[in-house]
Amino acid sequence: MSRWRQSVVEIQTRKRQVNECERAQAALSKVTACFQQMATSLGSNMDGSFLREELEETRTVAHKICSGLHRRLLSLLIEMEQGQEDKEQVERLWVIFLSSLENFQQDLKKVKVLQEIFPLTQRKDRQALVNTGYVGGTSEVAARAAMVQTPWLSVEETASPDLKNHIVEIDVLLEEMFQRVNVPLWSVEPTQPSWLEGVSTQDGDLTHGSIRVASSGTQLSNKPK
Amino acid sequence: MTVRSDRDHGQRYRPRMSCLKKVEATVVQMQDPSTGVKGANQKLNVTTIPHAITGQDIVAWITKNMNMDNDEAQAFGTMLVAFGYIYPLQDHKKLVLRPDGSLYRFQTPYFWPVQKWKAEDTDYAIYLAKRNIRKKGVLDAYEQEEYNKLHKWMNHKWDFIVMQAKEQYHAGKARQKADRVVFDCKERAYWIVHRPPPQTHSAMDYGLDRHIDPNAEEKKTYDYYRRINIYTQQAIMRSRVKSSVSLGALVKYMTTFKNHDPFLVPCLPSNPWQTDDDSYWELNKPDVEIPTKMRVERWSFSFYELLNDPRGRADFKIFLKKEFSGENLAFWEAAEELKWGTAASMSEKVEHIFKTFLAPGAPRWINIDGRTMGLTVKGLEHPHRYVLDAAQTHIFMLMKKDTFYRYLKSPVYKEIQKKAISPAPHDFSEAQLQQNMRNRRPSINPIITWQKEQEEKAKAAAAAGPVDIKKLMASKLDRK
Repeated sequence: MSRWRQSVVEIQTRKRQVNECERAQAALSKVTACFQQMATSLGSNMDGSFLREELEETRTVAHKICSGLHRRLLSLLIEMEQGQEDKEQVERLWVIFLSSLENFQQDLKKVKVLQEIFPLTQRKDRQALVNTGYVGGTSEVAARAAMVQTPWLSVEETASPDLKNHIVEIDVLLEEMFQRVNVPLWSVEPTQPSWLEGVSTQDGDLTHGSIRVASSGTQLSNKPK
Repeated sequence: MTVRSDRDHGQRYRPRMSCLKKVEATVVQMQDPSTGVKGANQKLNVTTIPHAITGQDIVAWITKNMNMDNDEAQAFGTMLVAFGYIYPLQDHKKLVLRPDGSLYRFQTPYFWPVQKWKAEDTDYAIYLAKRNIRKKGVLDAYEQEEYNKLHKWMNHKWDFIVMQAKEQYHAGKARQKADRVVFDCKERAYWIVHRPPPQTHSAMDYGLDRHIDPNAEEKKTYDYYRRINIYTQQAIMRSRVKSSVSLGALVKYMTTFKNHDPFLVPCLPSNPWQTDDDSYWELNKPDVEIPTKMRVERWSFSFYELLNDPRGRADFKIFLKKEFSGENLAFWEAAEELKWGTAASMSEKVEHIFKTFLAPGAPRWINIDGRTMGLTVKGLEHPHRYVLDAAQTHIFMLMKKDTFYRYLKSPVYKEIQKKAISPAPHDFSEAQLQQNMRNRRPSINPIITWQKEQEEKAKAAAAAGPVDIKKLMASKLDRK
């Protein structure tokens, strides 16, 4: 009966917030993927101060999205009432965000270690960079990451931490997230089918992958030939 | 999502792999453009990708800079490939170093193996999903299996995996074509090392996880010092043996057994683990009719060897039957059965043993000294597993000091020595070895082996019941 108490405005606001979070999650995915692609060039012959700067910028963008998304999702979950319609959706977003954070933190740790192994402070350090066969740089990837915009209109001023503190901060964030909200992780159902259609599709019986797919298919035995 | 809990007492630290740091230093030296391995170019359709190295150049560099001979350099190179620091450009699934013109390339440091982190299942799922997105149906059979398994285990974060796979795919597309190919090869090489295809050996195999982080320093608390104290005190209290004595025993053991060690002398006909031909195991089965010469020679080393080998024990039994002194061995076997048998059957076994071997006037009465006999009979009132230990040791010594040497000089043993076969060593060509590998079959079901053993035991027990000496003498007298 409580949903009738919510005014139309409240319902609309909540819907808008949930959509914002979905878009933010997509943006975060994009940024972390670009970050990983750039990180694979660390220590190779394409490494340089330019690459490291690009990495820093991407990391700041990711940090902004992370902190904003964290705050909004938390408030959504805390405000959630019994029998809320979008409970499943918000919980799914929560789990995706948690996994995303963990994955990103792993990449951050790797980047930190690699930057320590291959310091670029002296000229002779460039000789230690491994000749891996890369020819071009990752500037297009960095541009792709830079094009990502945070979906909320208000600009929040949060200081961006350096690499080491960022890793620690994510640890704290994860700890807090586990303690404050009790979401049973294994009750979340995915919306994506298990075997996705390839980009070059010939046979189209599987629904093409997009974030929100109507079929909640978990087709385990659907093996492509 | 990984489950985190302070009370998680699971083992999750990987053992120290200090070789990785040393290998990394070598690899950095190797890739040095001036002093490292000579580089070549890889031609791929119309593009040329630099920084490829040939196998023979790698071996040559290692031989020169690390002062090794060719074979060792090749083994070292294979180790580099197996760990994933260098990956082959042709035949990416076989992680060996070929000392010919086949091309290799250095792996980017992001994909180097690290001791404290293991390759995560989430990342593997993202990688497989990415490959599937790029081109449907490109995953191997074992990869498809893994994919389905991961989908089941990580069902709750499947949306994340798919999303991340798509984004990584698009991020990769933003690079130049040649770099994209290089990156794909590198990623694939990384996952071949960390999720090896079935029936291949993985260099990252490290055994069990540890409970304690091997990289962390142990805090010197009161408990720690208490443990060290107890350990040192116990070490001091241990009984000492002169090193000349213990070393002498070791030397004697080694000179006796050195021809029987498959590491030092190749076992005949061939080592099944190496050639996939199991004739060695077939010829040395416990119930084989004609044993091999090596086996028969081993029986003469010590009585313990003879008794432990089932074929040897059977031969010894034949000899004892001829000598009419089988009761010692029978008692020894009965005592073994009591030691290793079930607790429920203990009391009836003890009864049977007493009636057959120990009671005065028993059909197979064993000849042990009065003191031991007294102790044993008294212990039989409250039987436990080791109640016959003293008697068994006495009988063992009796057999060892007397019967064993008679056995070694007996015609039974000499005959089996003559009959024993010495198989010729196998000499398989490469093609035959491949054939053997393909023809590997599982051996006989252990349940069937156990059933056969039980049948044999039942037959033996029925046949060699308590020998009624009276009846036997009566039959002999009758013949007269």
